[in-house]
Amino acid sequence: MKKVSIVGSGNVGTNAAFYIAEKRVADVLLVDVIEGLAEGKSLDLMEAAPIRGYDIGIRGSSSIEDIRGSEVVVIAAGKVRLPGMRREDVLEENTQIVAPICEDIARFASDAIVIVVTEPVDALTHFTMKKTGFKREKVMGVAGVLDSVRLRYFISRKLGVSPLDVTAMVLAGHHDYMMPVFQYCRVAGIPITELLPKKELNDLRKQVRNAGGEIVSYLKTGSAFYAPAASVAEMVEVIVRDKKRILSVPAYLQGEYGIDGICLGVTILLGAQGVERIFELRLTEEQTSALKYSASVLEEMQKKMLKTWGLN
Amino acid sequence: MNKVSVIGSGNVGATTVNYLAEKKTADLVLVDIIEGMPIGKSLDFVQSGPIRRYDVEIVGSNDFASIRDSDVVVVTAGLPRKPGMTREDLLIKNASIIERVSEEVATYAPNCVMIIVTNPLDVMCYVALKVSGFALKKVVGMAGILDSTRFCYFIAEELGVHPLDVTALVLGGHGDQMVPLPRYTVVSGIPITELLSEETIESLVERTRKGGAEIVNLLKTGSAFYAPAASVSEMVEAVIRDTKRILPCSAYLRGEYGLEDVFVGVPAKLGKDGVESVIELSLSKKEREALEASALTVRKNIEIWEAARRSAKAGVKG
Repeated sequence: MKKVSIVGSGNVGTNAAFYIAEKRVADVLLVDVIEGLAEGKSLDLMEAAPIRGYDIGIRGSSSIEDIRGSEVVVIAAGKVRLPGMRREDVLEENTQIVAPICEDIARFASDAIVIVVTEPVDALTHFTMKKTGFKREKVMGVAGVLDSVRLRYFISRKLGVSPLDVTAMVLAGHHDYMMPVFQYCRVAGIPITELLPKKELNDLRKQVRNAGGEIVSYLKTGSAFYAPAASVAEMVEVIVRDKKRILSVPAYLQGEYGIDGICLGVTILLGAQGVERIFELRLTEEQTSALKYSASVLEEMQKKMLKTWGLN
Repeated sequence: MNKVSVIGSGNVGATTVNYLAEKKTADLVLVDIIEGMPIGKSLDFVQSGPIRRYDVEIVGSNDFASIRDSDVVVVTAGLPRKPGMTREDLLIKNASIIERVSEEVATYAPNCVMIIVTNPLDVMCYVALKVSGFALKKVVGMAGILDSTRFCYFIAEELGVHPLDVTALVLGGHGDQMVPLPRYTVVSGIPITELLSEETIESLVERTRKGGAEIVNLLKTGSAFYAPAASVSEMVEAVIRDTKRILPCSAYLRGEYGLEDVFVGVPAKLGKDGVESVIELSLSKKEREALEASALTVRKNIEIWEAARRSAKAGVKG
């Protein structure tokens, strides 16, 4: 059985372990710096196993060296935003949290593929790549998978069809300028541009951009974790089982779409080797300039972050 | 618990029961006129239940009364085409089976959705509709979903991507008369026209058209049943769970695509009432002509059936 480690046993980390267990993808190690937390949660999960019928092992630990031998390491540690905060507002604090984790990953699991959940995810994916010194294929974030699953849900409700028949694609940064690419959003193969008028598409764009914030405003003391954890589990399963799925994730660009040296959401082929291919899709002129705008906003933040840490 | 009955306990019928039991979709009844056969198969199923963890009932029966009050009735009964048999012979023989079955379904399960699998598919749907007297949306045929799952598989294999990410849309009849729509056929939303050359797409379409025959040639003594049964059970799920799936199905048309009083493969929204709507796509001239040709063949077959039925009635009277 393969091994997946999840660093950070908050709601996203623990629920990702839960989904991974239910699908019997791999043995899971939950790690947290808070003594006892990961052990307690993993014990609770394992005690459900006889009813839920999973036969993989879930273990908790407060020693990060236990990630040795992991195929995939998920970084789900860090602060989440609260009402009124933007994702960028947790950048400084979360880089401090993620930096030592990166060093430990490089030391104990240097062959692993790393999935970054911690916000702001585009910047921290870039940070993780530089800090671990891993190749770009091995590091990616969770954003497009989450944004597009949310958009799939919104489209299915608007049209009154099963979410199973809806596919969606959201590119660019996981921030206010994230970009649904509607000609690639389909219902049973039919572009939603043939099924919905422009005004409805604009509403959907607003809705998906605000989706994370909407849940934060309801929960007040935290942010969404079921759909984020489902997205993590999906990506982990694709890598562990080498499923070669086409998904969008924040990845490091080297000239694709004319963008160089930053991380942002693009369409990739995901498999056992990580980011196995980056697709450059046929975007409209308007979409290309929106992507570049999102990139320029991210570039400023990412350059500044790397400079502060002396990483280049 | 909902109830689904499957008429015909051959490989497609029995494998459909297998898939539905695994997904715990509904209580299941397998019916056949061959004495003992459906009872034996259902016993075999329930005896695998403790390992496979079924908690639905599975019953086999030689008596149509056991389908009473089913929510869905799947009709797989019929003969395969045998050497030396003309298409017309097959049509007449299977139409008489469907007539009998449809009368029984109308008697015992008058509120069900009927899913027809028997070939030639589109005309058998028409026979079932007319004989049962059911509402138009309550009779639907399985064909397009099978062609599209085959097409999806071939595309995934060609591109080296996961089949889950491939969605294909086909219209028209089954096999030779299939009308594939490459620009509506996508991988994670990306049209295959952006990923594959025209020649490659054409060769995958050809393989899909002949997908059934390819398997018959390999098996020699029978035809495919796993993919057909998977396709049927997907449709059953959509109806029982009212999931509003958009699936290519054979549906009765009333002017959609300019076609009337005929069953043809089109994208349809499936829910608890059967075909809840037919989705009309903008087609190219070539695609429209291919769809019309497909409908014309079905129409001709309907006329053959109607003529045979008239002469049979006249024969009885005479």
